[in-house]
Amino acid sequence: MARYGMLIDLTKCAGCMACTVSCQFQNELPPEVHFIKFYQQEYGTFPDVSLVNIPVQCQHCENPPCVYNCPTGASYIAEGGVVLIDESKCIGCKYCMTSCPYNARVLNEETHTPMKCIFCFDHIQEGEQPMCVQTCLGGARVFGDLDDPESELNKQINEKKARPLRPDLGTKPKIFYVW
Amino acid sequence: MLQEKISRRTFLKATALAAGALSVGAVGTFSFETWKKAEAEKKDDIRVIPTLCTGCGNFCGLNVYVKNGRVWRAVGLPQHPKSKGKICARGHGLLATPYLRQRLTQPLKRTEDGNFQPISWEQAFREIGEKLQEIRKKYGPGVIAHISYAGQKTAVWYGQRLLWALGSPNTFTHAASCYAGRGVGFEHTVGGTPGTDIANARYMVYIGRNLAEGITPGDVLELAKAREKGAQIVLVDPRVNNMYQMATKWVPIRPGTDLAFVLALAHVLIKEGLYDAAFVQEYGYGFEQFAQAVEKYTPQWAEEITGVPAATIQEVARGLGKNKPRAFIHPGWHGATGTQYANSVDAARAIALVNALLGNYQKEGGLIFGKTPPLGNLNPAKYPAPEKPAIPRVDSEWPLAHDVVTAVPDKIRDGALKAIIVNRSNPVMHYNNPLYAREAYKLLELLVVVDIFMSETAELAHYVLPEVSYLERDDLVEGVGGKKPIVAMRQQAIGKIHPETKASWEIYTGIAEAAGVGKYFNFTLDEVNQAMLAPTGLSLNELKAKGTIVLNSPIVLGTPKFNTPTGKVEFYSTEFKAAGLDPIPNWKPPLVMPDVSKGEFRLINGRQAYHSHTNTTRNPYLLVLTEDYHGDRLWINRRVAERMGLKEGDWVEVRSEVATGRVQVHLTEAIHPEAVFIYAPYGSLAKNNPGRNFAFSFMTLLPYHKLDPAAGIALTQEVIVTLRKI
Repeated sequence: MARYGMLIDLTKCAGCMACTVSCQFQNELPPEVHFIKFYQQEYGTFPDVSLVNIPVQCQHCENPPCVYNCPTGASYIAEGGVVLIDESKCIGCKYCMTSCPYNARVLNEETHTPMKCIFCFDHIQEGEQPMCVQTCLGGARVFGDLDDPESELNKQINEKKARPLRPDLGTKPKIFYVW
Repeated sequence: MLQEKISRRTFLKATALAAGALSVGAVGTFSFETWKKAEAEKKDDIRVIPTLCTGCGNFCGLNVYVKNGRVWRAVGLPQHPKSKGKICARGHGLLATPYLRQRLTQPLKRTEDGNFQPISWEQAFREIGEKLQEIRKKYGPGVIAHISYAGQKTAVWYGQRLLWALGSPNTFTHAASCYAGRGVGFEHTVGGTPGTDIANARYMVYIGRNLAEGITPGDVLELAKAREKGAQIVLVDPRVNNMYQMATKWVPIRPGTDLAFVLALAHVLIKEGLYDAAFVQEYGYGFEQFAQAVEKYTPQWAEEITGVPAATIQEVARGLGKNKPRAFIHPGWHGATGTQYANSVDAARAIALVNALLGNYQKEGGLIFGKTPPLGNLNPAKYPAPEKPAIPRVDSEWPLAHDVVTAVPDKIRDGALKAIIVNRSNPVMHYNNPLYAREAYKLLELLVVVDIFMSETAELAHYVLPEVSYLERDDLVEGVGGKKPIVAMRQQAIGKIHPETKASWEIYTGIAEAAGVGKYFNFTLDEVNQAMLAPTGLSLNELKAKGTIVLNSPIVLGTPKFNTPTGKVEFYSTEFKAAGLDPIPNWKPPLVMPDVSKGEFRLINGRQAYHSHTNTTRNPYLLVLTEDYHGDRLWINRRVAERMGLKEGDWVEVRSEVATGRVQVHLTEAIHPEAVFIYAPYGSLAKNNPGRNFAFSFMTLLPYHKLDPAAGIALTQEVIVTLRKI
């Protein structure tokens, strides 16, 4: 069984948000609901300035606080290590939202239950790449099996010394970033 | 803002109902097991239709997925050179277009009191046809004009045919507020605007060109590849744009002084012997005069004007020179070379010439003139073709430009234009000083607007004719030149949403018949497309099956051909000379300069990654990004703003000589202290545009300039503003 993960190479990211919007259509989300959010950082003073745009979504952590804090078991780890939500078990308490250090969950205003990136779970089962990976203009996103040492994902993680956004939080995210 | 939110929610519910079984936001909350069970029980009917995007002028190839009759998602076509398998945020967001509530659904006629009254197509065609005949009889055919978006081939082709049939040569595109400066500069220097071989370049300079926000997806992908291979990417821009993340260097420049920077690059390349002397010898015309002229443009001279240290200019020149011919300055698009400054045309010429100094034309990693695909035309024996009218165009005082749409308001005021047909363009809003333009357009005896939304121009029209959206129609076959030319076409992906809407080609045919020139329109769109495809040997069905087809005839690199009067790179321009203009792109300052001591700024603008034009601000998916990321704020240098007592998000009044606007400020170190920056598409004045409530349009603050004599460009950054906290 695969253990799905992703790499986002910020040196190839145009900050264009094509991933954000393509994800909405793929998942038939309303305009206000974004599974992928961008955070912008600015460093330095004019004229020595740099900017970085960081796309953030559910990190599909190995130790997901959202799953551990869910009182009903609605948040769970599915096949391939993908973190999912079983809506039928969700009571809308939002503990998972507050416990996510990546602020990756959003509320569905129709059902009052949380939603988030599911790594396009239904589609990757059929061999498709997640939509954000398919559409990424710079080819900044690589998706694959972390357990396969030959995968492009592992190759790039090692070559580019990619690391999670906040390894110090101990949640062991499966999305790795390159600066 | 709350009001906006509510209306978008309502929009969604309305469209969800219309779609029947659409489950808004359901997938993300189902467990896989639940989903699998549900899916097993119901079989979705999913069809994939290859077509073309309409988000900007690139018209990327895309596969549209239609699920149960409704547009679901899209992915880029890998074989289309603009998309290379990728689609930007706009391309995805615009998939909602057919379902937007603001769409026009039936022909409208303006009544005496300024309101609109629905009418039948028969009445619309009859009355427009009669009016056109009456105007032609009264004033002659030269008072009729057509305005369309340049990329929209169907409107351009049918619009020109209709105008020619009526006897008028006056067809306009939006070029003069977009890329006309670059076009005129390159055309009269090297014979045309070449493409860029980004993936193979080792040193690239982008001056006011921002691939990450004025996006061509395939170019962004190539840029990432080049960067991975170690290419140097230099951004020359008054602000840090989104390309920064992929670049190696940002060179902040005083806005409006790019020409000085480029002339100094030429100076260093020649002075230090870094240029390709053999190339210049073989392909150059008038190099000696140019070399003599740039003698005085030293890096120290340019430092004074541009604010860029002389050492940086030397470094960039040497970077280009040492990596030639796998090095280039990007020709630009809308920025420094496009339509923004009084010296933009000369900046374009200077850039074309520095590239010639690098000997990079038709070389790997350089600038490449693509091959144009062979496209045919209707057989005139069977389909009578109108002759090009012999009477002069109304904008014939610009001998070097192709069309000067920016001159239209004055041509109307002068009485030279009486009737205008507008298709997929919004000339009242998209050029300088919309209020000036609006008053002019009101003087027309006939204004017909073909659109899918009620634009600012449509609000003034005598007749508004509702078109089907891009996902509901076929369009004309288009050819895209390049290393390997392609043919592509937009085709219908879904059924018509509103029964009383029509495709452009049907509208032109209807008007032509009613205006008494129907004999020139005795064919269907399919027949034109078959005729256009004939020389390629492809059938229409083949093209429809694939959407985009690469023609297997790659160009041979190495020997460039320059389509100029001398057949050479014109360091000394014979055509500029003939037009009474400076044959050498010598330094010329911009039209206006802010006096910083008086608190003045230059108002600069640019493209945003998730919007194109005012029309995209109607899209709920894209507009919500503006809201969430404060994409409509005015950038101002942090230290300058703090001296003025401004904080992030404060409201200010921005005042120019012609108007004022209200906007929130964004404090940042990433902008030149003499400029304030706003993204271009906001501040719509159209009554039903949700983007109306966001920021202001820089166009409203822009004076209606005396246009530049070479290209008639809009001079969209020749405006000085002051700010006042409110």
